[in-house]
Amino acid sequence: MTDLHWLTAAELGGAYAKRKLSPVEVVTALLDRIAKLEPRLNAFIKLDREAALAAAREAEREIRGGRARGPLHGVPVGIKDIIDVAGQATTCHSKIFLKNIARADAEVVSRLRAAGAILFGKLSLHEFAIGGPSFDLPFPPARNPWNPDHHPGGSSSGSGTALAAGFLPVALGTDTGGSIRNPAGNCGVVGLKPTYGLVSRRGVFPLAFTLDHIGPMTRAVRDAALVLDALAGHDAADPGSAAVAHGNFGTDLERGVRGLRVGFVRHFHESDVPAHPEVTAALDEAAKLLKREGATVRDIRLPSLQELGGVSRIFMQAESWTVHAKWLRERPGDYAETSRRKLMCGAFLSAGDYVHAQQRRLQLTDAVNAALRDVDVLLCANSLDPACRIDDDAELARTYPRQARSPFNLTGHPALALMCGLSKSGLPISAQIVGHMHDEVTVLRAGAAYERATDWHTRRPPKL
Amino acid sequence: MAVRKTKASLPDANALARAAGLDKAVRQFPEDVAIAAQSAASARGAAGALDQFAAEPWPPMQVRNVK
Repeated sequence: MTDLHWLTAAELGGAYAKRKLSPVEVVTALLDRIAKLEPRLNAFIKLDREAALAAAREAEREIRGGRARGPLHGVPVGIKDIIDVAGQATTCHSKIFLKNIARADAEVVSRLRAAGAILFGKLSLHEFAIGGPSFDLPFPPARNPWNPDHHPGGSSSGSGTALAAGFLPVALGTDTGGSIRNPAGNCGVVGLKPTYGLVSRRGVFPLAFTLDHIGPMTRAVRDAALVLDALAGHDAADPGSAAVAHGNFGTDLERGVRGLRVGFVRHFHESDVPAHPEVTAALDEAAKLLKREGATVRDIRLPSLQELGGVSRIFMQAESWTVHAKWLRERPGDYAETSRRKLMCGAFLSAGDYVHAQQRRLQLTDAVNAALRDVDVLLCANSLDPACRIDDDAELARTYPRQARSPFNLTGHPALALMCGLSKSGLPISAQIVGHMHDEVTVLRAGAAYERATDWHTRRPPKL
Repeated sequence: MAVRKTKASLPDANALARAAGLDKAVRQFPEDVAIAAQSAASARGAAGALDQFAAEPWPPMQVRNVK
């Protein structure tokens, strides 16, 4: 049997149902592993051992008593510390919010609890989901399990780290400019940014209202579907929530890609912002593999990465400034340097800039929708470089903006990140599969088919 | 798509920052203020010019039905 700490949520659920494993056994083993490895990796801001064990005992009683709630019952989950858990501080990894105690669970946390998931605690992030790995904050930055000297990606850093280290099978991330998909890519796991509005933002501290998404991070595509089943749904208390009916997101996981039409957005990483050669090679290989599996793959053009990224940055800068202006005026020294530099940008934009960006957003979204008319999904780059060293400020500044994620925060399309290679330096390389609005089913279908045809998802960080 | 080139000089950036109430940041973190101003200018430049000035912004105004 696979080591217990590498089991997926679906595998855990199956083992619970057959009484081969119990939630208490799993939680105890994971807590032991965390105790051993966490000092090197800093995935957690707060690990809630007692609550996790109590929830495991309760889950065990319910499952053994014939009251299983579903596939996430007894499954350990970590929560990015920008998402409210009642009675706990939502620090946002910041000095400013050290005493910010949440009065209620975020909607996504309520839904996970209702599904029977076991909350392990709060995971580290980049300050307010925008900074970068910072050493001038109350908590240390998370490290990449593939090489702790390297950046795990962000802003959902602790989520990526916890999954790749075998601490947890499931974590929640948030994604405003790629913050689920960047750590998923750098840590070699799966990250799904759902369609805008599919998952409620209530109880999640905002970064940029019109770009903010919440979604699952897992080690397997099937698990992303299971978690999305639990998270998705209309929430009248979230003004951006979509009232769209949905069924089981894993419906087509076994269907394969025969006949699927894939648009390869080659210009993003070949001409717009040329990628590291190993990333280009891995993406070419992914396109070939989908073709071998029966998909029709053809090159497709979207607006340029620079233009999509530029408009997205206006929203990020203007909206995050609105949230943080008061504190930036009164206590700028309480932010990490990286966050301060990013959050003050909005002070230099005008109302005209923001409205202009809104006009451009409609045009660019229409252009992406038009391109998608002829295909079922897009294949494109995630990060354009393998992860750099966590302490190399110059390389962080150079590589962080070199990505193809923020276009889909701007447009709202669903986007799945999954591992598609390993660099010569031993760090994961990742691709994105992007779908039509609210067609996560097809995105996950393509991802599952790719996963079955490769062994990237079975690779583990060395020395762990 | 034309690219709009706009870049605030440092004195301009400091004036804009002060107008936005960031006096403390200008005094304590002048380099950060300059970098933020440059980043905003870079985003503005990359956003591209608009051919149709009367294009509807997104999202459009929508009324809320609350009784």
